[in-house]
Amino acid sequence: MARGQILMGVIGRPHGVRGLVHVQSYTADPASLARYAPLRDSRGRTWSLTWRGEGVAELRDADGVPLRSRNDAERLVNTQLFVDRAQLPDAGEDEFYLADLIGLRAETDRGATLGRIAAVHDYGAGSSLEIARDGGGILIVPFTRASVPEIAVEAGRAVVVPPPEIEARA
Amino acid sequence: MARSVWKGPFVDGYLLGKADAARASGRNEIIKIWSRRSTILPQFVGLTFGVYNGHKFLPVQVTENMVGHKFGEFSPTRTFTGHAADKKAKRG
Repeated sequence: MARGQILMGVIGRPHGVRGLVHVQSYTADPASLARYAPLRDSRGRTWSLTWRGEGVAELRDADGVPLRSRNDAERLVNTQLFVDRAQLPDAGEDEFYLADLIGLRAETDRGATLGRIAAVHDYGAGSSLEIARDGGGILIVPFTRASVPEIAVEAGRAVVVPPPEIEARA
Repeated sequence: MARSVWKGPFVDGYLLGKADAARASGRNEIIKIWSRRSTILPQFVGLTFGVYNGHKFLPVQVTENMVGHKFGEFSPTRTFTGHAADKKAKRG
């Protein structure tokens, strides 16, 4: 899939005999997957999704025709569902989609390349960016204005100013 | 059984000195610590600690809500990053 396509979920096993399927949603709020339409699979087919139970959905194709049987549903097992990046609503001020941040080139304020943003962590104490250094190893910086003063998603770069570190050991 | 109140919260003593030094310096620095067992005290609010999880130092920006918790709670040792999808990160 192209970079402009974002993986939003995966179709799982069939549910019942009437064409319903289990869908694993990767969205922040799992139920919000139904708001993204059309969903596109890797073969270019488009789908719309309606939740029929917890994790159980009815899928309709581009013509609005639902899956009719369990056999139809079985053919879609493990199908990944994507949306175009342009379909996501604008992020708020100082908010960034993880899909936009991951892969950005991290540079110092003098333009030297540090590496690429490999992951974004948030375990309840503020977000942080994990940068995979070009020469190997990782660098983790807090996702703050002081440490990441500039982000240019279109240009594919982020300016990173790693804060100084001091060790506290007994 | 809960910890006795008369003992007060546990914190490795050297953290207090490092926190004071970091605050006095006024610089935006990360204090790398291995002491996951230490309780977060009110005097740590506003500082950033890099808490070791056995693999890397994860930045922990201490806020008032975190007082009374342990540093280790914010630096998990087993992680599953999941998929990005429509998840967002807010720049602090």
